[in-house]
Amino acid sequence: MTSIDFEGTPVESNEGDTIASALFRAGVRTFTRSLKYHRRRGLYCLSGDCPNCLMTVDDVPGVRACTTPARSGQRVRRESGSPSTERDLLGLADKAHRLMPVGFYYKSFTKPRWLWPLVEKVIRRHTGVGTLPVDQLPQRKGARHARPDVLVIGGGVGGLAAARAAAGAGATVAVVDEGRFAAAIPAGPLRRRIEDLAAELRGLPTVELLEQHVAVGIYEGPTVPCVGPHELVEVEPGRVIVATGAVEAHGVFAGNDLPGVWLGRGAARMAGVHGVAPGRWAVAVIDTTEGLEHLAILRSAGMRVAEVVAPDAIAGRVPAGIPVTRNARLLAAHGRGRVESVLLGTARGERTVACDSVVISLGYAPRDALVRMAEGLPVSAAGDVVIPGCTVEEAEASGTRAGSDAGRADHAREPAQAPLGAEGYVCLCEDVGVEELRAAWAEGWTSAEILKRYTTTTMGPCQGAMCGGHLAAFVEDHGGAPQAQGRTTARPPARTVRLEDLAGGVNEVIEKRTALHDAHVAAGATLDRSGSWIRPSTYGDVAAEIRAVREGVGVMDVGTLGKFLVAGPDAPQLMDRLFTCRVRDLKPGRARYLLALDEAGYVMDDGLICALDAGRYYVTSTTGGADAMEAWLLNWADRWHLRALVLNQTSMLGAINVAGPRARELLQRLCDDDVGPAALGYARHGDITVAGVDCRAIRSGFVGEVSFELHHRRSSGEALWDALRGAGADMGLRPHGLDALDVLRLEKGHSYLGQDTLPDDHPAKLGLMWAVHMDKPAFVGKTALLRMSALPLERKQVGLDFAAEPQRGAPLYAGDAIVGRVTSCARSEALGRWIGLAWLRRVDGAFPARLRAGGIGATVVDTPFYDPDGARQRA
Amino acid sequence: MALKIPCPHCGPRDYTEFMFGGELRPMGGAPGQGPTAEDPHDDFARVYLLDNAPGVQRERWFHLFGCRRWLELRRDTRTNEVAPGTAP
Repeated sequence: MTSIDFEGTPVESNEGDTIASALFRAGVRTFTRSLKYHRRRGLYCLSGDCPNCLMTVDDVPGVRACTTPARSGQRVRRESGSPSTERDLLGLADKAHRLMPVGFYYKSFTKPRWLWPLVEKVIRRHTGVGTLPVDQLPQRKGARHARPDVLVIGGGVGGLAAARAAAGAGATVAVVDEGRFAAAIPAGPLRRRIEDLAAELRGLPTVELLEQHVAVGIYEGPTVPCVGPHELVEVEPGRVIVATGAVEAHGVFAGNDLPGVWLGRGAARMAGVHGVAPGRWAVAVIDTTEGLEHLAILRSAGMRVAEVVAPDAIAGRVPAGIPVTRNARLLAAHGRGRVESVLLGTARGERTVACDSVVISLGYAPRDALVRMAEGLPVSAAGDVVIPGCTVEEAEASGTRAGSDAGRADHAREPAQAPLGAEGYVCLCEDVGVEELRAAWAEGWTSAEILKRYTTTTMGPCQGAMCGGHLAAFVEDHGGAPQAQGRTTARPPARTVRLEDLAGGVNEVIEKRTALHDAHVAAGATLDRSGSWIRPSTYGDVAAEIRAVREGVGVMDVGTLGKFLVAGPDAPQLMDRLFTCRVRDLKPGRARYLLALDEAGYVMDDGLICALDAGRYYVTSTTGGADAMEAWLLNWADRWHLRALVLNQTSMLGAINVAGPRARELLQRLCDDDVGPAALGYARHGDITVAGVDCRAIRSGFVGEVSFELHHRRSSGEALWDALRGAGADMGLRPHGLDALDVLRLEKGHSYLGQDTLPDDHPAKLGLMWAVHMDKPAFVGKTALLRMSALPLERKQVGLDFAAEPQRGAPLYAGDAIVGRVTSCARSEALGRWIGLAWLRRVDGAFPARLRAGGIGATVVDTPFYDPDGARQRA
Repeated sequence: MALKIPCPHCGPRDYTEFMFGGELRPMGGAPGQGPTAEDPHDDFARVYLLDNAPGVQRERWFHLFGCRRWLELRRDTRTNEVAPGTAP
């Protein structure tokens, strides 16, 4: 025996209990208050179809108590009503329907105009649809894909028979069901058949059984997301068989929503599965053979059946001893907050019968939303969903047909429609009665789709499962035009789904580490994600890290850079046609800044190109652009039929940037090769051996000091790193991370592509035309640049000096107009001021120079801010 | 959306392993010649005025989480039915 916490009170639950059955056994009768009129609502379908038992379970709102297993310690509370669901003052709304006429949110409280926002807030609180927890992190669920030949949705007789037939024909099969097979079915032939079929399938290696998984909808593909308790399974089957069965028809009569009105299957489930009598004495209104079976189950649980109302065909089969009224109509259920009597209309007039429950078995409404949303997809149906009210044998035959041969699946048979009374709630979710549908019709909303939108019928949690057929019948009865009739469009999701569930797997991302990862961790670095890489942001003291680079020497792990070897007879041609700079005149040993443009002339990436020996190049790209760079290189080599091979060395090679005025001195301590200004001057590269590690040293200038990028075999990374740190210790060498780099590069006015740039930035907007050799015959993007050069430059990147600390992302104002945005900013200790990069729009033919960023004065200045002529990095 | 792409090197694989390279367009520059100075209007049409037609489209995909090679595909944009295209 376990217990759940129900609004602060422990409630005992038995093995096999759902939250609803445990609460009902404990005496709870009012489970919810209705949306608009705050009428009491109790258990009704007990099959997850109606909205009457939505509760907040462990802070999650909108949970169906009738299909959620009870677990020890669960915190359950009701959602609607003030001060409580049991004693709800808002129930007064039920006395004042005139205040909220149909479509009231289109026509009430609209004048004066300021009124609606206030009223809307009140109404939203009034509805009581639960409160989203905003102070909790969502649970992280995993996700996986499953690709069976056949997916069967629904684990009843039809579904399991379909699965067996499909598996027998050699197909791989998955079966998804919201609960455990047969768990919600009272003992009897149906339950036995389901258990037998399930047992047959359990042994089969080609069948996967996804119990307690909810098929949310059928999407293109077909793709069927199935939400399980611990993971999201994205099923991408060859075809789908929907065997979701039918829900018993919702009865529409006055008082049809009183607690104590039960659908027959719901009452039978409460009695037969959970062993709790749904009430003390019932009137049963039975139009189906199945309803007869329910009688025995109800009586065995100790419920008295006061009277049965049935047509002639059924009446003769009612067990002896129960009073039967033939061919009567159920006109109304009466009572204050619960059923106390029913009003029957018979040939001899109206008659009141005292009872505390009404059990109705009026017919079936197929649970066909999944079928109807899957038009054009390989989806068929079997069992109750196409043959509503079929026998166990018929369901099995139907499933077998659908499973063995998609072409022979059954076509939907129209269900017998439960009659629509003159009064009563059509839509339980949204509190829409027959009277309101009539009022809306009289206002001129005379088609199913429009009535739906105006009255919100079918738009609640049940998504039309209970009321969709009634809405269609209403339109037909009232003589709607042919095109205005029929069921409204079904769309996924068909079942309530949490965003957290659909986001299953989004946290499963590739995490890349450089060869120096362990060294960074040992050094106490703060690690952060940078794209898919894990990189140090700082080793503890950003200011000291910056100072080391500016005044002594610093090292940084830049092994994440994109690194490519391009070789082959046509490699020079490929490089020359791709990049904006001249490549053919690049002599071995020289490096050049490269820009990669797309065909629209927009900057895709930048990096360096080093000419190795004849016909071989070494290309680097930004960390984030490496994948795209590889694809881009290969794409053009392919399409131009060039004999050039591209080898992506990004993860084979490590790279360490050694930078600072004493960088050369440090290398000289560890290296016998000539690293002097003549051999390894700015924009040169060469192969050297540092501390016994073979390196390609590239003289780059990103941080604005003498710097050597040492590219080396990944496996030698830690040895090289340790040697550099050891040899530089007495120079005040420090490793630095991305935080220091951000300031160092900003002082030099270098952009971070993607942060400081916009997707439609061409080189002129970024002041990078010096890197574009327009005198080349052609390169990718050149024609676009020529075309755009005829247009005035409306936006460009600028450097800014700020009077005080600015905010990154702050809008830039010239007067009252927003003319740009700050994309990077930092305090530069080397310069003693606040600097930043921004994009700026032209105003009245000129770029304004005096701006404000938020409340901070900003002045446009030339870049680089630091060492404008580059003397330091060229040394 | 479920879409399986027949990779000539790796077999049929999920589309999520691939990077979409867009519909196959005339190239900037003929094979073996590379991009040449073009008429700006032709260039504009080539870069921006995609067919985006309902029906079978030739397109390129890069098998990023696989062989890292480009392939050509014929895909019906209405149904996602695919067939291998001709090699580039």
